[in-house]
Amino acid sequence: MSMSHAPERSHLTLGFVPLLDAALPIVAREGGFFAAEGLDVTLSRESAWSTLRDKLAAGLLDGAQLLAPLPLAMSLGLSGPPCDTLAPLVLGRNGNTLVLSHRWAQGMAAPYDDTPGGRDPAINARGFAARLPGRGAPRPRLAMVHPFSSHHFQLRDWLALGGLDPDADVELVALPPSRMVEALELGRIEGFCVGEPWGTQAAHRGGGHIVATGAQLWPGHPEKVLGVTRHWAERHPTTLTAMIRALIAAADWLTASPDHRRQARDWLALPPYLDRALDHLPTLPLGEAPVDQRFTALRPDAGQLGAVVEHLARQLGGSLDRERIDACYSPVHVDAATPRGGA
Amino acid sequence: MPQPLRILLVDDETVRAAMVEEALGQEGHEVICHLQSPASLNDMVARHAPDVVIIDMESPDRDTLDSMALLNRENPRPVVFFADQHDPDSMQAALASGVSAYVVDGLVPSRVKAILEVAVARFDAFQSMRQELDRTRSQLAERKRIERAKGLLMKHQDCDEPQAYRMLRKLAMDRGQRIGEVAANVIDILEGLEKGQ
Repeated sequence: MSMSHAPERSHLTLGFVPLLDAALPIVAREGGFFAAEGLDVTLSRESAWSTLRDKLAAGLLDGAQLLAPLPLAMSLGLSGPPCDTLAPLVLGRNGNTLVLSHRWAQGMAAPYDDTPGGRDPAINARGFAARLPGRGAPRPRLAMVHPFSSHHFQLRDWLALGGLDPDADVELVALPPSRMVEALELGRIEGFCVGEPWGTQAAHRGGGHIVATGAQLWPGHPEKVLGVTRHWAERHPTTLTAMIRALIAAADWLTASPDHRRQARDWLALPPYLDRALDHLPTLPLGEAPVDQRFTALRPDAGQLGAVVEHLARQLGGSLDRERIDACYSPVHVDAATPRGGA
Repeated sequence: MPQPLRILLVDDETVRAAMVEEALGQEGHEVICHLQSPASLNDMVARHAPDVVIIDMESPDRDTLDSMALLNRENPRPVVFFADQHDPDSMQAALASGVSAYVVDGLVPSRVKAILEVAVARFDAFQSMRQELDRTRSQLAERKRIERAKGLLMKHQDCDEPQAYRMLRKLAMDRGQRIGEVAANVIDILEGLEKGQ
């Protein structure tokens, strides 16, 4: 790094939520990839997506791990006051699981097993629909993490595969990821859609069964993105480039060897990050069925947000401005950071 | 006299919650406290139908409220995020203090602002109270450390208390350190010696 390209700002605070796909910022920090780019990064653990959104919009955070739909929802003013927000880098693909309690999951196939139910998510969804009580009886309560999340939209899509109306046939609530497993075990909810490690943890502890995955419903979808406000990005172009380079270097390192993934798992299990939530995972499982968590193909592509855009448009009751979507998920920042398209 | 509002307060800090509850009660509002944060927040909102929800910015329950604002279409009293773009200063003040609020659609902005100001003032007061408490605690700990260091010095140097204190003070002056820091150092060294014996 030459001195003429020193970042405008060397100390950064990035927000994250304790999830497996906070891996890239954590590896970039613990593995020295941020430091190699001249960045001293503090990672701030936040307990809610709304808090990340508000702190990012107010400038209390330089950047944040965000749910992929959130930068667009923020830019459109659908979530909090309008704030032009960019998603210059994908931080993870897939990782979501749909988990049901024993009572509801009985007899259902596990995703990707060799039965028809494992291959076609509609079969479990129809099985769920068949168990619903008649109109007037209490509706089962299902949880997702935030209204502007792929978890919410994937849950709706899965219910629709079973011929259900998500607004009428079930009750949808939002809970923080770290509270899902306990809420299921206490019988406060009947199921949830959440990112790793919480889905496999529920299965491991025996409180629920994975009946579908995000990878089945939307294969390879961008799940989390790096989020920065446009205002911040315009004032710190070199810092943003350095941050992107460090995160891509962390992803390359992570995919290079199984030893690296075990090391990364130990970093993620440190108390400031995911702590005991990783007890059931001996390493970071990447690219494995049925969850198929991936930290590859980090270059954003607005075209891959198709399903999210459809859900947002339905919520708004109209169509969305294509240019705004393209601007939000533009690959120009990655391309500037990796002249040879290394991402 | 405007009608009192029903306010749901979501805060894990029991002392702070009591302060906010008292202050809003004095303004004539009805405050319902929700101290723990289980998954039953949905039921609380449905049962009490609050006009305003005041919630700690750091609470994990914020996403639950965000979601209710968007999804509960059949709820006659939807909670919507309070986003007054015409008054960014009061939003910034609330954010800095860690207060966030959700209000029913159609509530007069000035009434919400008044409630928000009361909550922000109490959150700030609680913050300075806690800082004061931390300061007192660390002063107390330092005094205990100095006593312990004096005791060890008296034993090892076979001297009386005023002499032991003068030794500590001289060490502090020579090293340009606070007497509490020197005391901690002396304890480390002398306790190490004791263990070695």
